[in-house]
Amino acid sequence: MRLNKIILSFVSALVILFSTSVASFAKVVGDKIILGAAISLTGKYSSNGVHTQNGYNMAVDRINSMGGVKVGGKTYKFDIIYYDDESNPKRAAQLAERLISQDGVEFMLGPYSSGLTKAIAPVTEKYGVPMVEANGASRSLFTKGYKYLFAVLAPANLYLDVAIDLAVEKNNGKPVTVAMAFEQDAFSQDVRLGVLDAIKRTGSKKVIDDKLPKELNDMAATLVKVKQMKPDVLVVSGHTKGALTAIRQISEMKVDVPMLAMTHCDAAKLSKQHGKNSQYALCASQWHKTLTYKDNFFKDGMTYDADFTKEFGYAPPYQAAESSAALLVFKDAFERANSFDQKKVRDALAATNMQTFYGNIKFAEGGQNVDKPMVLFQVMCDDAGKCENKVVAPTKWASAKLIHPIPSWSKR
Amino acid sequence: MKNNLILYIGILIFGIAAPFIFPAFKVQLSILCVLIVLATTWNIQGGEMGYNSFGNILFYGLGMYLCASVQVGMFFPLAEWTESGGEKTFVHTPVQFFQGMAVGLIVAAVVPTIVAGLIGYSILGLRGHYFAICTLGLGVAAGEISGGIEIIGAGQGFTTPPFPDVGSLDSRGEFFYFLSFFVLVLTFVTVRSIYTTRFKLILNAIRDNEDKAEAMGIETMKYKIIGWMISAFFCGLAGGIMGGLVGYIDSTDVAFDGREMGVFMVLMAILGGKGTLWGPIIGATVFHIFKEGFWTFFLGWQYVALGVLIVVIVIYFPEGIMGWLREKYPERFGEVVDEKDRKAQVELK
Repeated sequence: MRLNKIILSFVSALVILFSTSVASFAKVVGDKIILGAAISLTGKYSSNGVHTQNGYNMAVDRINSMGGVKVGGKTYKFDIIYYDDESNPKRAAQLAERLISQDGVEFMLGPYSSGLTKAIAPVTEKYGVPMVEANGASRSLFTKGYKYLFAVLAPANLYLDVAIDLAVEKNNGKPVTVAMAFEQDAFSQDVRLGVLDAIKRTGSKKVIDDKLPKELNDMAATLVKVKQMKPDVLVVSGHTKGALTAIRQISEMKVDVPMLAMTHCDAAKLSKQHGKNSQYALCASQWHKTLTYKDNFFKDGMTYDADFTKEFGYAPPYQAAESSAALLVFKDAFERANSFDQKKVRDALAATNMQTFYGNIKFAEGGQNVDKPMVLFQVMCDDAGKCENKVVAPTKWASAKLIHPIPSWSKR
Repeated sequence: MKNNLILYIGILIFGIAAPFIFPAFKVQLSILCVLIVLATTWNIQGGEMGYNSFGNILFYGLGMYLCASVQVGMFFPLAEWTESGGEKTFVHTPVQFFQGMAVGLIVAAVVPTIVAGLIGYSILGLRGHYFAICTLGLGVAAGEISGGIEIIGAGQGFTTPPFPDVGSLDSRGEFFYFLSFFVLVLTFVTVRSIYTTRFKLILNAIRDNEDKAEAMGIETMKYKIIGWMISAFFCGLAGGIMGGLVGYIDSTDVAFDGREMGVFMVLMAILGGKGTLWGPIIGATVFHIFKEGFWTFFLGWQYVALGVLIVVIVIYFPEGIMGWLREKYPERFGEVVDEKDRKAQVELK
C-alpha cells in the first residue's frame, strides 16, 4: 500500500505545520498591556461591531497619548489583539480560547451583543481572565454567578420598561395596550421581559407579541396587525436591522400608533438615514452626548461626540461610548491593583466606583453596572428636515418635552 | 495489511499524544475531530450513495440540544435553567456533570437515529435536486422552530453546564478532546467496516443507477434509510460534544447552523474526495487548517479567501485531493497500469 506513505507524509507535514505556528504573545510585553477582543467585523452585527471597535480604539489612543497606565511605578500602554467572530457565538467561544490559550492574553474586552458575550463568558470564567464588557446587556449574564465578568452598561430589561411607564403616565395613569415585536436573540428577548414586567406592574395589556427572525428585514405581518388592533404603544427591538426595518415599513405602510418605542436608533443612524420618517420614534439609550458626566480623558459627552466624529466621520452611538468607557475602567483597575495579577485586578474591578464621560460605574455582585440609569430620547426634526435625538426621560436629564401622541401620517 | 496496521497505530498514537504536543490547540483539535466525523458521515450519503444531503445538520443540532437538555434536566428543572433572567444559580457537581454528559450523549445519538429513520422513510424517495432542497429546508425549519421553544431557551439561547472544577485548567480541553477523538475513532472504525461489506456496494449501486439496483431485487429504500441512520447516530454525538465545547447553544448560529457547518461538511468531503474513505478526513483537516490560517492572516477577508479556495478546488481538483492523487499516481492506489497496453493505445491514435 503506497497510499499509506502518502498519508504518513501528510500527517508529518501537518505536525511540522502545527508546531511552527505556535507563536505566543504574553499579556504584558515590554511597556504594553495586551488586551484581547473578539469583535463582529463581519456578519449580522458588523455595523455595531465596528462601533465597538472604534470605541475601544479611540480610548486606547487617548489613554496612551495621555500618559498610559501606571503600574508599579512604570508606565504601560494599551494594545488590543482583535479577531473577527463573524457574529457567531460558536466562533466567539473558539476565539476566546484562542486568545487565552494561544495568544496568552490575560485580560479581555467584551464582544458586541449579549449572545456572543454569553458564549465567551464561560471561557474567560474558566481561565480566571477578567473581562470588562460594554455590549452584553442580557440579564441572564449576571445571574450565572460569574466572578470575572464586568459590564459597564445597564441590563437589557431596563431598556424599554420606562417607555411603558411613560405611556401610562400620558394616559392619565390608566393602563395601556401594548404591541410588541422582538427579534429572537438574547438581547431583544431580554428587553421583551423588561417590557412584560412593566406591563404587569401597570396592569396594561399586551395585544401583539411577535417574534422576529434573526435576519430581520421584514415585519409587515406584525404591522398589519398593529393597523387592525390600534395599540397605544408599539415596541420594537432587534438591533440595528430591527430599527431600520421598523422605520422603513412603518413609513411605507403609514402605520399610525401613538407611541413607538425602539432600541438601537442611534447605532442605526436613523435620523440620518430616514430623516423625517423616523421622527417621534422613542429610543432607549445607554448614553447621550448631552448627559453631564465628566472625566479627565474625554472631558464630557459633547467633547467625546466632537472628537469621535472628527476621527471616524460619524456621530458616536452609545455602543461606541460604552466601549470607550470599558478601557477607562480597565485603566483605573490596573492602577488601583498596582499589579498584573489577574486575581488582584479582578478584585480591583469589583471595587470600581468612578465617573466617566459615559456615566457612573459601580458593579453589583453579578457584574452589572448599577450606578447608571438608562435614558430615552426622541427623534425630533425641524421644518428643514434636519433631525436630532433629544433626551425626554428621565426628567433629570431631559432636554426636550416628549411629543405625545405621535401625529397621524395624514397630518405629517 | 501490515503496513495498514502500522499506519493506524501511528495515527492512534499521534491522536492520543496530540493534545500534549500542541497543548494550546486542544480546542481546535477537538473541533477538527468533530469536523472529520461530520464529513465522514456526510460522505455516506453524498459520496457513496449519491444523495446530496444538506439535512445532516438537523441531527447535529438535535444532538446538541438533547445532550445539554438531558445534562441539565437530570439534576435541575430545565425550565428554570433556561429561563432568561432566572434568579437562581445552579452548579453541577463533577459527578453530576459527567453522569449527565454520558446519558446526554447516549440520548443525543439514539434520538436523531430514530428521527432519521422516520423522516428518511418519507423523504428518501425524493431524488437529485429535490432531495437536496428538501433536506436544506429541514435544517432551516429546525432552526426556526427550536428558536421558539421556551424550555430550551428559545431566542435567548441555552448556556450548557460549565465544566466543573476538577483537575487543572487544561482538564476541560483534554476532556473534550479525548471525547471527540474517541467518537472520531468510533466513526472511522464503523464506517471502515461497513465499507468492506456488501452494504457499500449496494450504496454505490444506488448512486450509479438506482432503478437498475431496484430491478436487481435490492430494497434500495431500506439501505438508504439505514445509511442515513448511521450518519444521524454520529452527527448526534458530534453535536452533543460540540454543545459542551462551545458552552452556549443558539438555535440558528450554533445548533442548526446550516449556513456554516451544514455547508462545511459538504465542502470538506468534496475537497478531500467524496466516495473515498480517507477523502473526507484529509479534506476536513486541510479545510480546518486553511480556515484557521485565513482567520489569522486575512482578518476581515477570511470568507473571500475561503471562497477563492473553493473556486480553486472546483477548477483544479474536481475529484478532490484523493481523486487527484489517484489520477496522478494510480499505481499507489493498487491500480495496475499496463504500460505496454497504454503505449499501444497511445500509438494507435
